[in-house]
Amino acid sequence: MNVDAIYPKVREIIADVLVIDEKDVTLDRRLIVDLGAESIDFLDLVFQLEKEFAIKIPRGQLEKNARGDLAPDEFEKGGVLTPAGLSALKQYLNEVPDAYFKPTMKVSEIPLLFTVETFCKLIVAAVKEQSATESVA
Amino acid sequence: MRFLFVDRILQLSPGQFIRGLKHVTPDDFYLCKDDKGKLAFITSLIGETLGQLAAWNVMSTNNFTKRPVAGFANSARIYRKAFVGDTLLLESFIDSLDDTAVQYHSVARIGDEVVFTIDGALGPLLPMDDFIDSSTVRRQFDEINRPGEWPWPTPPTERLPLLPTTDNQLISAPMVFDRVIEHVPGVSMSAEKKISYAAPYFPDHFPKKPVLPLTVLLECSLNLATLFLADSPYAGQYKVSEVRRVKMSDFVYPSDVVLCYLTVKIHQTEKLILNCRIEVEGKRVCILDVVMLPKEREQ
Repeated sequence: MNVDAIYPKVREIIADVLVIDEKDVTLDRRLIVDLGAESIDFLDLVFQLEKEFAIKIPRGQLEKNARGDLAPDEFEKGGVLTPAGLSALKQYLNEVPDAYFKPTMKVSEIPLLFTVETFCKLIVAAVKEQSATESVA
Repeated sequence: MRFLFVDRILQLSPGQFIRGLKHVTPDDFYLCKDDKGKLAFITSLIGETLGQLAAWNVMSTNNFTKRPVAGFANSARIYRKAFVGDTLLLESFIDSLDDTAVQYHSVARIGDEVVFTIDGALGPLLPMDDFIDSSTVRRQFDEINRPGEWPWPTPPTERLPLLPTTDNQLISAPMVFDRVIEHVPGVSMSAEKKISYAAPYFPDHFPKKPVLPLTVLLECSLNLATLFLADSPYAGQYKVSEVRRVKMSDFVYPSDVVLCYLTVKIHQTEKLILNCRIEVEGKRVCILDVVMLPKEREQ
C-alpha cells in the first residue's frame, strides 16, 4: 500500500469531513490554511480514517512522528521548536514546501503545515505498523 | 432552569463505563408533546443526558480538571420518545480517553427497550475552570453519585396510568428556530434563531462561559426538518430515525444569530436524508444529517 493507492479514498473522506467539493482536495493542499479545517475536523477526520482503513491513529501521532528520536526538550523549548526540532519536522514533513516553515515556529503551529499527503503518509505508516503487529501476533 | 439531567449515577468505572438513570416526570421542564398530545422529554435531550453521563465519568476520572464539550457524533439514533412516567436507564462506554479528548458510545433504555443510542461520539477536553468552578462540578457530582442497583425489572407501578397533567406543565422555551427565511418546498429551507441570554439552559451551560448546547441546535434542526417535510411532496411519508455526522466546530454565544440551511441530500424511496448547515456570521458552527425512513418501515 502506498500514497497513490489510498489517495482517492482519503480525498473522498476529507471532502466529506470538511463539507467541500472533492475537486478542491489535492495532495499538496494544507488542511487548515487551504481547506478551512477546524480542530474538531481533525478529530472527525482521524475517526473516519481509522474506520475506513481499520487502523488506530493515536492523537498527537503526527507530532510524535515528527519528533522522531529527539527527546521532548530537544524538540521544543517553551512551546517553540529548537533548530534540531525544526530540522526533524522538515525531514518528517518532506512533502511540505520549505517556504511554509518559519524559522521560529511554535509547536501549536505544526498542524498548519499538514497537507492531504501528510495524512496519506500517516495512514500508510499506520497500516504497515498494524500489519507488522498482526504478523508478530 | 437546570440543564443537568442525570438523576443518579448507579455505577462508575473510571475511564471505562458509567451507568445511571433519569426519571421523566411532570416536574421536568424540558417537555414537549408528541403528535397525540402526550407529554414527552425533548428527544435530543436524551442524547444530552447520555453525553452528560459520559462527561461525569470523564470529569471524575481526571479529578475535575477538564471537561468534555460537544464535538462530533457519528450517529444518534432515535427509536422512540421517553414519556412522562418513564425512567431512562442510561449507559455510556468510554472507548478512549486521554488529555485531549474522549470517545464514547451510549445507550438509553426504558425497561428492556432501547430508545436512543449514540455511536462514535468525540468530545474535546477543555480546562474546567474556563467553564465552571471545579468545586461546583464536584458538588454536583457528589449529589448524584449514589451507587446502587439497576432498577430491573421495571417496577409494575410504572405501568399504572398517571394523573392528568395540564398544559401549563409544557415547556416555556421551545427548541425551534424563530423564523423561516426562505423555503423552496421539497428542496430547501433556511431559518434563523437569535440566541438570548435569557434562555433557561445558560446558567448551567456554563456559569463562566455560557454557550449554546449542541443538543439545542440538534432539536431545533429536527423540528425544522419536520416542518420542511410537512410542506413537501413527501409529507406524511417519512419519520425522523437518526441524526448522522453531527459536528460542532465552534461555540455559539448569547447574542449570536444562528442561520440554518437545510437541503435535501438524498431522496430515495427507502430514505430521505436532509443536510443542515448551521452558521453564525457566515462561519460554519455545526453540520448534521437528518435521516428519515418511510413511516411503515420505521422501527
